[in-house]
Amino acid sequence: MGNFVHKNITCQFSNGYHLWKHPEVTPHPLEAPKNDPLEGFSRPRKVRTMRHTQEELESAKIPLKNRDYCAHELLKFKACRKDKWPFPVFCKPEKHAYLNCMYEDFVLRMKEYERERRLMVREHRRE
Amino acid sequence: MSLVNTSRKFAQICATKNPILFTAIRNHWNKDFKPAAFPKTQEERNAAAEKYGLISSEYKPYANDGTGMGDYPELPLTSGDSRDPHYPWDNPELKRNFNEPLHADFEMYGEDRYDVMFKHRTPVYKQFFQFTGVMLGIFIVYGVCENFKMFPGLIPKQYPLQGKKHYTFEVEE
Repeated sequence: MGNFVHKNITCQFSNGYHLWKHPEVTPHPLEAPKNDPLEGFSRPRKVRTMRHTQEELESAKIPLKNRDYCAHELLKFKACRKDKWPFPVFCKPEKHAYLNCMYEDFVLRMKEYERERRLMVREHRRE
Repeated sequence: MSLVNTSRKFAQICATKNPILFTAIRNHWNKDFKPAAFPKTQEERNAAAEKYGLISSEYKPYANDGTGMGDYPELPLTSGDSRDPHYPWDNPELKRNFNEPLHADFEMYGEDRYDVMFKHRTPVYKQFFQFTGVMLGIFIVYGVCENFKMFPGLIPKQYPLQGKKHYTFEVEE
């Protein structure tokens, strides 16, 4: 409960406050990062890859909002459900893999936000 | 013609031999409910008061201003809700006694309708301030909180196949 309140209420409220009070060092949650993604890395970062093409996703009827970097796991999960019907409970591993992928994606977005914030702070300090 | 005569005789027999049928047919038509003309002399007033079951001093007709009330008495307004529920009314559903004169707008002031005697728990001006206070308070809180919209610290979701490169946090070998 305490962790939940801290993560979902306290931090989010303070985010809102900081965006209002210090907009120069707080990235906006609806805008993509403006800094160079490769800045500060000794070697180039790995590019996130999509394993399916637009046509494959269309033919699988994956909704637009789900055509992210976890679409291949979702595709596997949906295919499994169709194969194993009426026993979709046997698709638990696929579902688990999909949710884990979503979690990793969430963590990556958190990291990107924090990276953007720190770069903004550094830029602000230099001025 | 003989059929008309026969039926008329039959109706007369029915009406005279059967008092209920006679009452239903010969009385309580709309023309019988209609008030008479506005009373001008004192005798007419007395007759009208007696017709409506009032004493002469209590009888006061509506103003003769063309509203068509005629000699109908202007009775005090009492709503059904405000009348005593424990009094043994002759007609408890309407809270009305037998032969009691009805208000001209009686159907407007029944228990299921408007209550003219209604007393508010708080005066209306206070209700107005309560309402505006609550609404204004909510709008002020809303307007102030517009600047502090909470959000999780995340960048927008990254979608592939839009001609934009996204990176993981691992570096190439």
